[in-house]
Amino acid sequence: MALPQTVPFIGWAWDDLIFLVLAGLMLGGGLMVVLGRDIIRSGLFMVLSFAALAGIYVLLGAPLVAAAQVLIYIGAISVLILFAIMLTQSKAGPSNLVFHHQSWAGALAAVGLAVIIIVVVIYTDWPGAATGVVASATTLIANLLFTDYVLAFEVVSVLLLAAVIGGVFLAKREDSPDPGARAVDEPTLGRLPAPRDES
Amino acid sequence: MTVIGRSWSRLTPAGKVLLPLLAVLLALPVLLVVGWATGFLPWLIGLLAQVLGANADIVRFLLAATVLLLFTVPTAFVIIFMEMKLIAFINLRLGPNRQGPWGVLSSTLHGLKVLAKEDFTPTGVDVPVFTLAPVVVYLGAIMTIMVIPFAPGLFGLDMDIGLLYFFAIAGMGVIGLMMAGWSSFNKYSLLGGLRAAAAIISYEIPLTLAVVGVIMLAGTMSLNQIVLQQAGSALDWYAFQQPLAFVIFFIAATAEAGRTPFDLTEADSEIVAGFATEYSGMRFGFFFFAEYVNVFILSALTATLFLGGWNAPFDLAIVLNALSVTVDPTIDPGSLGMGLLWLVLLGPPLVVLLLALPFWMLKSDWSFIKSLVVGFVLFNVVVMALIGIWAYMSFPVVAGLFWFLVKTFSLVALFVIMRGTLPRVRIDQLMGFAWKWLIPAALVNIFVTAAAILVIRSGTD
Repeated sequence: MALPQTVPFIGWAWDDLIFLVLAGLMLGGGLMVVLGRDIIRSGLFMVLSFAALAGIYVLLGAPLVAAAQVLIYIGAISVLILFAIMLTQSKAGPSNLVFHHQSWAGALAAVGLAVIIIVVVIYTDWPGAATGVVASATTLIANLLFTDYVLAFEVVSVLLLAAVIGGVFLAKREDSPDPGARAVDEPTLGRLPAPRDES
Repeated sequence: MTVIGRSWSRLTPAGKVLLPLLAVLLALPVLLVVGWATGFLPWLIGLLAQVLGANADIVRFLLAATVLLLFTVPTAFVIIFMEMKLIAFINLRLGPNRQGPWGVLSSTLHGLKVLAKEDFTPTGVDVPVFTLAPVVVYLGAIMTIMVIPFAPGLFGLDMDIGLLYFFAIAGMGVIGLMMAGWSSFNKYSLLGGLRAAAAIISYEIPLTLAVVGVIMLAGTMSLNQIVLQQAGSALDWYAFQQPLAFVIFFIAATAEAGRTPFDLTEADSEIVAGFATEYSGMRFGFFFFAEYVNVFILSALTATLFLGGWNAPFDLAIVLNALSVTVDPTIDPGSLGMGLLWLVLLGPPLVVLLLALPFWMLKSDWSFIKSLVVGFVLFNVVVMALIGIWAYMSFPVVAGLFWFLVKTFSLVALFVIMRGTLPRVRIDQLMGFAWKWLIPAALVNIFVTAAAILVIRSGTD
């Protein structure tokens, strides 16, 4: 869909306006993630921040990256993080985030990162305007991924597979083959004691 | 408190909506007259026309979005009615039969009832999250309609990455369910939300992996192109080239839509409707609205990917040729001349009489008026059928839409029949089935498809 040149009444270019809105949403969401008191809301603001970033990718003419961003960061990673928070937190528990005890260290780290990024941005020799946005980048990305960068691709796959196997091993280690057959008196970490027969 | 405030607080929620609307309706003529007399209105209309003309694409986008939103309402109503009737049939009950003939209005009235109910926010909930959750769920459902091709040339957007977009947006709905489950401040809701997250994350993997075979065969992720690749007869559908993927996709879609036998997320007998426990009024309605829209969308996607989308299962022209029937659907009313006038004047009454007479003669206890009414209804049915056949023959869009809806609603009926017949699985069975059976089967399907493509292509080269 082609947008007209300028926004009615304001006179800006559409791209600028949309970029400003999306960037504002992204930065605001990111700030709310670290400043919020409620950890679930922090997680939801993180989703908002990811979504705004996906919008910026679309604006830059990379819908494939945007779709991957939504699919992986929102659909999988954020959901898993929220899932973990919901399993471990409760509303009766402390509402203070653990980050709030480390706010000075966090602020120092943020400033340091900002300085590094600014230095990198200033001293990088940026290419000028793009020679033209490719309308359909899917085939190009697929070709590159399976020819020039196939080694990196496979290495990442193996790394992820190792992570998955390691995770399963860590989660499975303490379990007996059949949870129902566990001895009653065996103390289990983090579990409620099995009901005793008092009669 | 003033009299007005007291009266206002006594109104039902529906009244609180209707009364301001009535006031607006009464004030509108006055405002129009004043605006026209002062010349403010013509100036405003001129400005509006100028702005709209300069931004035609935005206007088109807003119109398309509105049409999309409105389209989901009758679809959900039809599916809800279908579900009530079909499950009643399976259960040897009558089902809804009071609102309209055969109860066809019952789901509409259900919708109005839900709209008029009190929208209650319980104590202790996380108010913004609680309020936003149904919106996120509903948006996640309807934004996916955009890429589904309904008929040749009838789709929101033919995206290059349509399928990826579909899965990305469909995965966002689960965040809404988790928001609802968490913010409700209720252990059943939390369990429902967690179950929804676990089930949808697990079943998204086989759902996506099953489609990879189709993408490899079609060579594209654009849904429109995938439909075009399946053109021809029913044997060209991917359901026959990818039977395993078809089965996996359908099972995973059932879980993704949260339908029986995988409706653990709302299992009303275990966790009292799960994430929706604390919701009331239209916010509760939105969850189930979204669920039925989801059923429609997943059926539509299954039809698009595996059952040829809007392609007809057979070519009508070949069948007609085999029967040596020639039909020329082009109608030229001008060639009739004065006969057209007589046809328009005398045709309908004569046909109505013709259809009414047998009833009047055969049913001795029917009055002539009653048989006339029945004749009129029959006449309308016949005319609608004739117009439908003519449109089917003349416009590929109508034919495509017809086959697409037939396939989609057959799959919806399958979903409903499954709900009426299958028992609910346990949560560990649900997860085990996805990880131990569906995902390996989907991976095998990918390897077999890739090998088959390699063998066949190397044979032809």
